[in-house]
Amino acid sequence: MTKVISFMGRVLLEGRAKGEALVSRRAFTFAHGVEPSTGVVTDLRSDLSGENVREKVLFFPFGKGSTTGAAWFLETVRLGNGPAAVLTQTAEPMIVTGAILGEMLYGRKIPVMTDFPPTMAEILRTGDPVTVETKRREVMVSREG
Amino acid sequence: MYLTREQERILSGERGAAKELAMTILAKVGEALGADSLVPIKSAHVLAHYSSLHEAGIEVLEKFSSSGGRFAVPTTVDPASVDLENWKSFGIPEEYAEKQFRLCTAFAKLGGIPCWSCAQYQVCNFPKAGETVAWAESNSVVFANSLIGCRTNKITSGLDIACAIMGMTPRFGMLLDENRVAQVAFRSAIDRPTDLDYRSLGYYIGRHSGSRVPGLDGLPRKVSSDELKHLGAAAAAGGPVTMIHYVGITPGSGSMKSASGGERVETFDVGRKELDEVESDLNQSEEKPDLVALGVPHLSVYELGQLAKFLEGKKLKGGTRMYAYTSSQAYDLLERTGVKREIERSGARLTHSTDAEISPLKRLGFDVVMTNSAKLAEIVSSEGEVKIRYKPVAEIVEEVTS
Repeated sequence: MTKVISFMGRVLLEGRAKGEALVSRRAFTFAHGVEPSTGVVTDLRSDLSGENVREKVLFFPFGKGSTTGAAWFLETVRLGNGPAAVLTQTAEPMIVTGAILGEMLYGRKIPVMTDFPPTMAEILRTGDPVTVETKRREVMVSREG
Repeated sequence: MYLTREQERILSGERGAAKELAMTILAKVGEALGADSLVPIKSAHVLAHYSSLHEAGIEVLEKFSSSGGRFAVPTTVDPASVDLENWKSFGIPEEYAEKQFRLCTAFAKLGGIPCWSCAQYQVCNFPKAGETVAWAESNSVVFANSLIGCRTNKITSGLDIACAIMGMTPRFGMLLDENRVAQVAFRSAIDRPTDLDYRSLGYYIGRHSGSRVPGLDGLPRKVSSDELKHLGAAAAAGGPVTMIHYVGITPGSGSMKSASGGERVETFDVGRKELDEVESDLNQSEEKPDLVALGVPHLSVYELGQLAKFLEGKKLKGGTRMYAYTSSQAYDLLERTGVKREIERSGARLTHSTDAEISPLKRLGFDVVMTNSAKLAEIVSSEGEVKIRYKPVAEIVEEVTS
């Protein structure tokens, strides 16, 4: 049986998205951390090192690193390798700015939500099918069993 | 977020395309981050280096500059990806330099102050306590909030240009009193810290603060602003730190209790063991370095004078280069005072308007880079293309010169 777990958060940028979850439990950055031409996480300090953010629902607790984060995010989006949605526990201005510019310049809509309960980091797992629906301020996770 | 009637007009395009774009970014980011309004800023510091901005960043800057954009407040800029004067002699490929020059041209057209430094607060952008600014560059943000006593968020690329064009920034985060209180404390018990100890301590704070504002007690009384520049830079490289309450130094932070607003906070004791952990974490190799990179962030005139003394009577051994990175202002001064010549007599080179972490180290053929910068070590080692040796400057000079 499929069980649906739902998490409520605050909407930073609107939109709907569906994709596999890619979950980091550490601070995350696109700056020097994701290769824009592939979407691959190159940050060796990230627990997602070697994974690909492309089309994924990316979750991480908070950001870190260089303030160029928005530019790296934007370049990743420009090259068609951006995530489907970004979810965080603490609002990350670099993601918000990069996503806004991504929509303005390249017409790609990437919903961004934040302020999720701390339990989400423990429950959500990489590979979980996730639906992001900002109209309902909700993220739904499907789980078998 | 509240917008004035004039801001609404700008948003609807009545004041031109560049302002419309800038205001759209400010309004949307401000709204997303829970800002209640836009507030005026005294200065901006923006990013315009190709290695991080990529093609998309060139497009953003050119979009502003080609649609009539003009910075509304004094606006300085972080280092470029190449030495803007001597790039050819550093082996930078022409097509790479061309990308950087497009950013330089757009920045100039927008009316920026071309200081190309990540320690702009030491050369050409000096706010006073209490002022609000909008600075990109994480080390500058820590310096501004912690030592100058002005207020800034860590402004990301794209948003930085929008703030500079409008002369305003969304009011959120570190602009608000309640977010500037220390929520975690660090007590240093390091006897006579070396250059590396200050950076390792900063990095440790960055790694253990999470999204909390840290306070730091136990620094030597004679700690210099240069040492705190590097400590803050390392903290901002290790985590999302935008301010450190240096007890006894930061305005209003006479004690940890006053820094934390009277609250009891989690406290970390930092001693030799903790710094050793940082060192072994950042130090990835024992191989002979191709390059010694000193100055992430930019070294000051005083620090370069110290370096000249370190190098006096010494010569770089073959196979290793040594670059010391600084602002063009400091470079000119050192040229006139003869310190540049003293440094270069050893075989080391002084380079300006660029910095190691944003220059194409791998493309220039460097595989092992030795440095005392935790920020450089963090950025480069997280990418994994270039190996880092993280050592104090005295040990570096000892090893690579004879």
